[in-house]
Amino acid sequence: MIKVLIVDDDEIFRAMLLAMMRREGYEVSAVDNGREALQRVEQDPPDLVITDILMPEIDGIELIMELAKLDARIPIIAVSGGRRTISLEFNLESAKLLGVRATLPKPFTRESLRKAIAEALDQDQKDTP
Amino acid sequence: MNDTRTPKSPPDLIRRYAELLQGAVFAEDPLAAETALADAADLGRRLVANEIPLEEVGELHHEALVRLAHAHPDLPLGQIADLITAPLMEAHMAYSLAFREQLERRAEAIVNARLEQSRRLEAIGTLAAGIAHDFNNILGAILGFSELLGDELPAESEGHGYLNHIQQASFRAKDLIAGMLTFAREVEDDPIPIDAVPLVQETLKLLRVSLAADIRLDFAPAAREAWILAEPSQIQQIVMNLCINAADAVDAHRGRIQVDVRLIKPEDSLPMVRLTVEDDGEGMSEEVRERVFDPFFTTKAPGKGSGLGLSVVHGLVAKLRGRIVIASAPGRGTCFTIDLPQTQREGTPLSEPHSIRETPPKQRDTFE
Repeated sequence: MIKVLIVDDDEIFRAMLLAMMRREGYEVSAVDNGREALQRVEQDPPDLVITDILMPEIDGIELIMELAKLDARIPIIAVSGGRRTISLEFNLESAKLLGVRATLPKPFTRESLRKAIAEALDQDQKDTP
Repeated sequence: MNDTRTPKSPPDLIRRYAELLQGAVFAEDPLAAETALADAADLGRRLVANEIPLEEVGELHHEALVRLAHAHPDLPLGQIADLITAPLMEAHMAYSLAFREQLERRAEAIVNARLEQSRRLEAIGTLAAGIAHDFNNILGAILGFSELLGDELPAESEGHGYLNHIQQASFRAKDLIAGMLTFAREVEDDPIPIDAVPLVQETLKLLRVSLAADIRLDFAPAAREAWILAEPSQIQQIVMNLCINAADAVDAHRGRIQVDVRLIKPEDSLPMVRLTVEDDGEGMSEEVRERVFDPFFTTKAPGKGSGLGLSVVHGLVAKLRGRIVIASAPGRGTCFTIDLPQTQREGTPLSEPHSIRETPPKQRDTFE
């Protein structure tokens, strides 16, 4: 089963994404900050990380940069609901520059989540022959 | 209105001026003469404080001189004229100085008002972006959970229909947040060619949400497209401020606000884009109309308006090299007409015939 790690500090959104991903048939775990996410990745590397951008401690952008340093090259989907004075598009665009496979602006539908997952995992297969 | 603006000089000032001249003319020692000069300077400042225009100061002086001549028929007029030159100069110089100070204070007030406005907008922008972030998380949860709940319910059930409504409402909220963010985003001084028609329409859609439900807001643009060189936020702010003002004017009854965008070709200038915001509200007296663009001038109840909305509009229109005209009468509504230089659509020359022809009104949008 494909293992997915969800990183989001918003409790209710995290609960929703967790439930939705379980129903989609993934093995899902969730944490609420970047630091914990890095620990989790070290102990038990997932096949996909879905991370929020704006989080306390280590935020999404930092997490993405840390993950990029790993050999595992775990595919990432970045989600964001916008950030203070910086626009949502800017957040997601900067995530893309950092090598994120797919981005999703909050709120999103299950359909667009499925597309983003397909994009992230499919590309992964192409990259690793 | 302010009583001190009445054109006739207050009688006590005339009397004071006459006394002063008398004191200066008949001063017997240097100290008395100095005191008379100081009094003259003081009087000059008082004239400015009472907003007496320069031409009336001349009349005032003439009148005082006549009184003085009447009181002392023995003195030759030539001698009186010689003697009053110094106090007269003193009064005039003080008048000019005080007048200049007053102008500077007013200019400073206007600059401060603009600064304050931009700070406020910036604060609103930050606040809006923060709210938008949290709101999108909440919407994400509502939308996601309602989709999951949909799996549990039979496809044709009533509950499934309700869930569809929840999802539609969530999408509407999402659009609203996106619109608010666009509006609140920091203003960059970087004008681009924009089509005013969809921009005004989008702004009115946002505005509709904050207006009382019984106010009708109609937009039936005569122009199909209207390109101007501006920042979208500038046009949004002009439309918002004018419409909020119109909404306050029609507040007391079931009013109507009509917004229009059309293309015009004045004889004395280049093609323009004309934006009008018309209401059938209480209208304005001539006195109000004259001062309506002054910063801090407001007819609204305390706490209801900053008195800055229309002065900001005026500032923006000036910045965009446009002009603004008000037509209004008490009880007969108000119409603001703004003409902004038309620009070419990106890559299209302005001289194309369609840029002048007025297109027939298309489908009318009523934001209800």
